[in-house]
Amino acid sequence: MEIFTQGTQALIDGLLTGGIYAMIGAGLSLIFGVMRLINFGHGDFVILGMYSAFFANKVIGFDPYLSLVLVLPLAYGLGFAMHRLILSKLLGASEQTTKLATLGLGLVASNLMLLQFGAQPQTVYADYATNAFVVPIGGLEFRISQARLIAVVITAILIVGLNWMLYRTELGRAIRATAQNRMGAELQGVDTKKIYAIVFGLGMGLAVAAGVLLIPLLSATPTLGTTFTNKAFIVTILGGLGSLPGAIGGGLLLGVVESVGSSVLPLIPALNNHFGSNYRDAYGLIIFLLVLLLRPNGLFGRTVKRV
Amino acid sequence: MIKNWHPMYTLALVIGLLALYPMFFGQFMNFGVATLLLAGFALSWDILGGWTGQNSLGHAAFVGVGAYTVTLLAERGVHPVLGALIGAALSSLLAWGWGAATFRLRGSYFTLSTIAVAEIIRLIILNESWLTGGAEGKFMPDLPKIFGFDLFDRKVEYYMVLLFVLLVLLFTHWMRYSRMGFYFKAVREDEDGAMALGVNPNKAKQLAFVCSAAFTGLGGAMYAIFLQAFEPETFLLIAFSIQVALLAIIGGRGTIYGPLVGAFLIAVPSEIFRDQLKEANLLVYGILIVVIVIYLPKGILGSLEYWAYRKNHPLEKGKV
Repeated sequence: MEIFTQGTQALIDGLLTGGIYAMIGAGLSLIFGVMRLINFGHGDFVILGMYSAFFANKVIGFDPYLSLVLVLPLAYGLGFAMHRLILSKLLGASEQTTKLATLGLGLVASNLMLLQFGAQPQTVYADYATNAFVVPIGGLEFRISQARLIAVVITAILIVGLNWMLYRTELGRAIRATAQNRMGAELQGVDTKKIYAIVFGLGMGLAVAAGVLLIPLLSATPTLGTTFTNKAFIVTILGGLGSLPGAIGGGLLLGVVESVGSSVLPLIPALNNHFGSNYRDAYGLIIFLLVLLLRPNGLFGRTVKRV
Repeated sequence: MIKNWHPMYTLALVIGLLALYPMFFGQFMNFGVATLLLAGFALSWDILGGWTGQNSLGHAAFVGVGAYTVTLLAERGVHPVLGALIGAALSSLLAWGWGAATFRLRGSYFTLSTIAVAEIIRLIILNESWLTGGAEGKFMPDLPKIFGFDLFDRKVEYYMVLLFVLLVLLFTHWMRYSRMGFYFKAVREDEDGAMALGVNPNKAKQLAFVCSAAFTGLGGAMYAIFLQAFEPETFLLIAFSIQVALLAIIGGRGTIYGPLVGAFLIAVPSEIFRDQLKEANLLVYGILIVVIVIYLPKGILGSLEYWAYRKNHPLEKGKV
């Protein structure tokens, strides 16, 4: 019985955390889908979001969620500029080369944050961070963390907005055309270089937004970037690289796997309390490896589906 | 150029120059040993990353296996030389299994899988504290002297590491024109083409991975002796794997001496700005790799070699 209650609670927590993972993955997936570029600095940009929310909170006194209004356009601009100034020089280069460039950009970002803010974790206090709605179901009570719920709602709004943009606007059409065939789009008068920069900006925006949403839940540390890059990879591989709906599914799945793994496994007596939240990051990685080896196109897609 | 210049002369020159280091920079021995070790790791990485074209971002795991093996065995009274060899053997065994599982993936997928495997190994070492000491790490126990040399003397360590570097360099020199080396290069240049010519790319990659891991494990054992006390965060983080890979890439992949050049070229400015940068020492790597990737995609030594080649062969347009 305890396994059941704990399991359900873990499922709820996992789905909520998974929403944020989905957004991290969506940014990576969008960039890959359009540019065929794996952004190895994605996690560091998530951390950048955490620090910008922290900074906005300390200096201007913004609520972390409110700072999105300020941070999102800045992040988009930064991503756009980063592509225009640096990554656009590598358009003809091999995948290996551009991958290294994004790795380098991530390193620069994380180390600049380390220089600026130091290695000690920084937190933003928000009174709703520890509050939770209690939902009684059949005599049992389940907790839904408020901060996570808000995060999931904002994630949903952003992803729905992105989807609307991709499928209902002229810019979205240009982006999809570039993803399908760069040369063809160019011949139809699409400035694909600009589209690439826009997409990199959007990906950066999604990463930074995820960071902002995480700050009430998690303290910011500059060196945590690789963990988030990993999570983004896991999410996108689970759902299939380059697929937005896949990223959402992958994110939710990763959240659930981590959460269930770390709270249900300790309850199984045969495992002798050996596996628990200490291996939290490993559960996702193991699923990731299995999917990578058995179904490299992702759990949901037949082939790599583009945006 | 001097006629009949044998490649071994270059090797002798490089090793000879490096051997002089303790006589001139005796007060910077820590820096010397650490840099040379990093160079050794980068050289070992290059067997897989440079010659076979498979970018691994998980080599820290092999450093960890070597380091933990030698320390744990030394605690149980095993001679460090034997311990280091066992560490190298365990590393290559790990690489064999790891490669068997992941080399079916190509390009970036392989890189992603190495990160995942290395992270899992780090989490295991961090959490299985009954064996590894967990987050607190390990202390190297007193080691017996080898031929009267104290293994904790920095100069002895320097020459030991130099021997390690020499070993990797000799291997690379031999590999370059061996059948194995040609397989590696064929796989790097065109996997499908190599397959069409009867090379099994998975086997070639796996072989390169095993060799690379064996040397990295050996170096890891030396790293443990050099550090004397270490914890998982010292060298098991992805950042360390990235550092090793970037040294080789900045220096020049597949150029034999590139990783060595890269290690020294980066280590010196990192050391100079140490006080300003503190933990943010990877900033130098980040900036350099972006610049290198854009302006010198073959790496420093690779670009020099290419430039020299083009100068002597003005009519050719192909690659080196």
